[in-house]
Amino acid sequence: MSPKHRGQGWQRADSVSYNSPMHPVDSTTTAEHRVLQLEEALNEAAQINAELQSRDALKTQFLANISHDLRTPLTAIITHAEILRDGILGPLSEKQRDSVASIIGGGRQLLEAVGEILTYARGAANQLTVSPSEFHITAVVAQVAALNEPLVVKKGLSISVDVTPGVPPLVADREQVTHVVSNLLGNAIAFTPSGGRVWVAVTTRGDRGTTQVQVEVGDTGIGIAPEHHDLVFREFAQVDPSPSRRHHGTGLGLTIARRLVELNGGRIWLESQLGEGSRFYFTLPVGDPR
Amino acid sequence: MEARPHILIVDDSADVTGALRVLFEETGNDVSVANTIRDAVAVADARIIDVMLLDLTLPDGDGLSVLATMRARATEPRVTAALTGRAEPEIAARCTAAGCRAVLVKPVPIAELLRRVREWTA
Repeated sequence: MSPKHRGQGWQRADSVSYNSPMHPVDSTTTAEHRVLQLEEALNEAAQINAELQSRDALKTQFLANISHDLRTPLTAIITHAEILRDGILGPLSEKQRDSVASIIGGGRQLLEAVGEILTYARGAANQLTVSPSEFHITAVVAQVAALNEPLVVKKGLSISVDVTPGVPPLVADREQVTHVVSNLLGNAIAFTPSGGRVWVAVTTRGDRGTTQVQVEVGDTGIGIAPEHHDLVFREFAQVDPSPSRRHHGTGLGLTIARRLVELNGGRIWLESQLGEGSRFYFTLPVGDPR
Repeated sequence: MEARPHILIVDDSADVTGALRVLFEETGNDVSVANTIRDAVAVADARIIDVMLLDLTLPDGDGLSVLATMRARATEPRVTAALTGRAEPEIAARCTAAGCRAVLVKPVPIAELLRRVREWTA
């Protein structure tokens, strides 16, 4: 609605009140003056809004550009380091190999963060598209759990995957769903101290006449206070920056996860208490086999 | 003696082409590097290319357009693999339609890159 239309709305409301015997005739001038003031304020607000939107678009473009520019040197760093690690330029001592392995590890971690920023920027600019295909969520969960197994062992945690038999296939963007499961499990591992437990459970649920697949990713970790539950899905927000930094988060992971789940027609939420672990859930509608 | 495979690396980043040049030269290949579409076409005019590793974003245009140009001059490499920043389905589809044998996401782990190139040049 344009400011002009909104202005007309205000005028109609005022014309009712100054015809009333409760209001003296000279209030007409005041009312007209107020209408003008409001119209001006609305115009100004519309201009500020347009300017903010344009700045937001610039910020998004900047993030996309910077992500691309970071990937190129990272590609060179990682490739050179792998050439050294694999002894292509001659054998390395064990210490040299360890050192080079750290360069590769750090490089891959940076690459992941850059990828996350790029996904966020594309999401913010509504440039994320869904490429649906039919697949079983159990295959995705098994794949992500297997990839995380070494990290789980390294941190001294245990992991379990529990799938209710007969979960139907989904029609969704497999890569995006994999990203969500991977993000949630990565967080569960990162925020659970040694000796703890992480799990993934897949079930089917009926929701308002439709069948949904529900994925739960839980942990016995540090937990999140209920007043911070909304905050964790908000971009750049960190409940407590210190542990998050310890775990190298960009603060965008859950914002992206929510966007990807919603793009695929689902819903994401959490249940958690401080000190009592967290359980993140997301649902996705089941594909029609016809 | 059997001729060494010839690899053409097309990418506008000297850092990236430098790393790939070392990788392929040290593993028994001849390597040419092009930073632009024009240079890539010129290299293929001069000698037979076994494998071309092709970046999609080049200073003088869309990397994939190089394939059509080479095809028209009958200088198309035996195998072309696209090197991209992201593995989005629409990008992959475009590469396949243009004639790429594979679409690889940078940075490709070198073990995988070497395995693929050996397979293509066997």
